[in-house]
Amino acid sequence: MNKNKMIKTTISVVSLITVWGLVSKMGVVSSYILPAPVKVLNTLFKMVQTGEIFEDIHISYIRVLKGFFIATLAAFILAMIRIILPKWNDYYENVLQFLKNVPPLSLISLLILWFGIGETTKIGIIVLTAFFPIYLNTVKGFISCDKKLLEVGEIYGYSKVNSFFKIRLPYAMSDILVGMRIGLGYSWRAIISAEMIAASAGLGHMILFAQQMSRTDKVIVGILVIGVVGYITDRLFAFIIGKVLKGSEKNGWD
Amino acid sequence: MDGIKLVNVSKSYEVKNQQLKVLDGIDLNISANKMTIILGRSGCGKTTLLRLVSGIEEVEKGEVRGVRLKRKAYVFQEDRLMPWLDVKRNITFGLKKKQINHKKIDEIIEMVGLEKFCSAYPSQLSGGMKQRVSIARAFAYNPEFIMMDEPFSALDFFTREQMQKELIKIHQKTRCAILFVTHSIDEALILGDKIVILEKGRIKSCYEMNEKKQERDLLDQKFVALKKQIIDDLRII
Repeated sequence: MNKNKMIKTTISVVSLITVWGLVSKMGVVSSYILPAPVKVLNTLFKMVQTGEIFEDIHISYIRVLKGFFIATLAAFILAMIRIILPKWNDYYENVLQFLKNVPPLSLISLLILWFGIGETTKIGIIVLTAFFPIYLNTVKGFISCDKKLLEVGEIYGYSKVNSFFKIRLPYAMSDILVGMRIGLGYSWRAIISAEMIAASAGLGHMILFAQQMSRTDKVIVGILVIGVVGYITDRLFAFIIGKVLKGSEKNGWD
Repeated sequence: MDGIKLVNVSKSYEVKNQQLKVLDGIDLNISANKMTIILGRSGCGKTTLLRLVSGIEEVEKGEVRGVRLKRKAYVFQEDRLMPWLDVKRNITFGLKKKQINHKKIDEIIEMVGLEKFCSAYPSQLSGGMKQRVSIARAFAYNPEFIMMDEPFSALDFFTREQMQKELIKIHQKTRCAILFVTHSIDEALILGDKIVILEKGRIKSCYEMNEKKQERDLLDQKFVALKKQIIDDLRII
């Protein structure tokens, strides 16, 4: 981010907090509904000092990473089979299309029945959420591969598998990474919802628990932390994409 | 090495429910060690002929003999470079890691005049430079048989002339078979051992030339007469 952009971002964030502060100072709404920014900040400091916030972040983060990893792997393998062995695809394509239209949260009751409220349920929800954007983008990337480039591989005697890894995969890389980036964002959304329904730790649980204890300040801290952690993860991912995709066209991800 | 033989090769495409015959009963010998030029107007089936010989497309009728076992390379009309690979990796695209002879690759890069652009990506090159990379890719493969589809048409006059000379040199060194498609009569006269004129999917005429390529002078009476004859062949529709 350059200096100019940084200043503009700071201005918008500061003015937002100022408006928030003014509204709570004037007593337009009760401090229970909207606590003052100072109070939220204090709560944040306390939670940082005791370390409880890091514990929740850590737990949610590990769940997201596990689920995201499994989803990426499954999406990649199924997309690859679809290209290399198109006939096998018939076995699972329609099942996937069906599952795509079922919101993962609607499955949570079943998952709890089957797996209890342990880690499996939460990771399962993330896998189901993150899988589809990754799978669909990966397939799109593989299928839209330029036929003319595939012909070059054919001329130089590339086998189907070889041409997949040397031509189709690099060609699809930008699509795959877009899918992964969307999938990662979805994972964050999904884990919070899942933790609100069935969990004894994690950011989602923290927020719900704070609400039940009438601690709106903690709720807001939770929301801010989710946003910041999600943002940092996304930036990191964008940075990696920039490194991987050197040489190809601009993608508007800087 | 034996040559390649086309026997009664035909091909048609379906366009708007109509069969469009592109090639009609082509019989052709592509001799090993020689440069065979296919000359014709645009749309006469030149590229289709190359695609059939290369095996990218299947022959509808007839057969192409002697091409399967050969190590072949193809220079396409467009550059067809991999955008994610730099120049050097694009040039060695056809080779396995173990087969890469760096000294030879550097020589080829020098021949096409891209020493300074070894690590550039295709998006950073001009159209002519990209085409030169694609020509280098074909030669780096050590082919026994090269198909070239108007490879020099994107190059400027001087680069084209230089590349033609280099092609003659390489051909004399490697003695590989070359099937070269062009619409430029001059290019055909400079490069060819045999010129085949294609017209509406049929072979119209065929000329053999035995003069040494370095000594050819297109202003020589013999070549002027030949050029006239070729123009006449192409003109009658």
